[in-house]
Amino acid sequence: MQQITLKGRTIVEGLCTAKTLVSATPLSFLGGVDPTNGKIIEKNHNLYGKTIKNKVLCFPHGHGSTVGSYILYSLARKNLAPKAIINQTADPVVVVGAIIAEIPMIDQIDIKKIKTGDIIEVDAYNGVVRILNRTKS
Amino acid sequence: MYLTKEEERLYDGEYGWANQTCMKILVRLGELFNASKLIPIESAHISGVSYKTLGDAPVEFLQALANADGKAKVKATLNPQSFDPDYFSKKLPEHICKKQLNILEQFEKMGCIMSLTCTPYNIEKPRQGSHLAWAESSAVVHANSVLGAWTNRQGGPSALASAIIGKTPDYGMHRAENRQPNILVDVETALKNEAEFGALGIFLGKILGDNIPLIQGLRDVSDEKLKQLGAALATTGMTNMFHHNTRLKRKEMEKVSVEAKDLEKTVESLSTTLNAKPDLVFVGCPHCSINEIREIARLVDCEKVKAETEFWVCTSRYIKEKAKEEIKKIEKWGGHVLADMCTIVSWTEMLGINTIMTNSAKTAYYAPTLNKAETIFAPLKHCLKTISEG
Repeated sequence: MQQITLKGRTIVEGLCTAKTLVSATPLSFLGGVDPTNGKIIEKNHNLYGKTIKNKVLCFPHGHGSTVGSYILYSLARKNLAPKAIINQTADPVVVVGAIIAEIPMIDQIDIKKIKTGDIIEVDAYNGVVRILNRTKS
Repeated sequence: MYLTKEEERLYDGEYGWANQTCMKILVRLGELFNASKLIPIESAHISGVSYKTLGDAPVEFLQALANADGKAKVKATLNPQSFDPDYFSKKLPEHICKKQLNILEQFEKMGCIMSLTCTPYNIEKPRQGSHLAWAESSAVVHANSVLGAWTNRQGGPSALASAIIGKTPDYGMHRAENRQPNILVDVETALKNEAEFGALGIFLGKILGDNIPLIQGLRDVSDEKLKQLGAALATTGMTNMFHHNTRLKRKEMEKVSVEAKDLEKTVESLSTTLNAKPDLVFVGCPHCSINEIREIARLVDCEKVKAETEFWVCTSRYIKEKAKEEIKKIEKWGGHVLADMCTIVSWTEMLGINTIMTNSAKTAYYAPTLNKAETIFAPLKHCLKTISEG
């Protein structure tokens, strides 16, 4: 029995353990996340209505306006931000957002291997993600 | 990425939180795009100024930076805000005006120049070959393609970080090898006016990806027409630069032909209504140059009665000061020459504007979503004719 470990690249350093929220599609923070409550409001998004607060938010990459970076900062100030961000491919909007909001972030992770509700440990000092509630035999 | 001793100290926070945060933004973006180092910039141009597009969230970050002594080290100009205070202050709710003012105050504290224009190059041209960190996609394409300056397409936050550090990572358009054309565009039809230059940009942006085109067959070219082409190119595509009418053809390139029917279809697609009566006729996206103001003043006939339709000409405050006589003539004719603002990031729907006629392909493309308005796309002369005929 072995824990599932995924190796990626550190964007913003940090360490946390939390439940995941996984999006199969890209996410825009401007217009896609309500800055007053941290809920996903992008129409037709598979996570519509879900809150990103205190989750490890996993999505392929960001899209949309660079104002999105500021939204992440504002969410963090109101304690509505995700605990960590995991991307397949980091894009400038999310990278800048995670830096100014001081949210641990790793990219180059195959997020298809992570399921919503998994408990994962994000070691964004070493660029490593460990899925704690599942083991591979 | 290589950092000097001084840059490392900034990164480690020895010069405070504002410098550290900005340094982190530049270094991480640099690493993302394989930059080797930071290079000094001549100027930064910052987007994300209009309260309408920003909303409430960004103000907190701007305030934090300003309060932590974030100060621009190089010339830092600003994109337009959401209204011209001289014209709108009584037409808009007070809380909106206050919030917009608060955003401007934060930028002012950080030492930004209150240029409030998308054409900072009409105030002062960047030097040829100089490195810039400009946001505002239309200005980026114009700087790279027409002015010979070098800049990536920055976002609002990274342009601000570059202003405060005075540097930018050296990837992308800052390297000569990335500025060569890699696709040949043959324009097989004569473009008749500035609107058709814009339509060409909309058409090409959709098919070019992030390729750099060498556009051949453009005739009767002016900086103003190329401004329309570049603004539209950046609206629908990722292209940051075009070359035009140069004979240098160093290698075999993929070729794309643009025929008359391609252009006609694009022009048609930029009008959403057949209604010939707009609530607003708008020129000045991107902001009018002094030549364009003169052209409009020449075309408006003072004998005509004051028009019923709202007519806006947007430009920078700097140009407005330079063209007082021309502006008097346009205003006498019934037009409003507005400064500091951009129609597509302003509150047109609050003023009851449902149909916008414009010669700007960029505005025609964005107005249905950003202004919830129908569009009529036509060249300047046609726009003016519509006003005078009522």
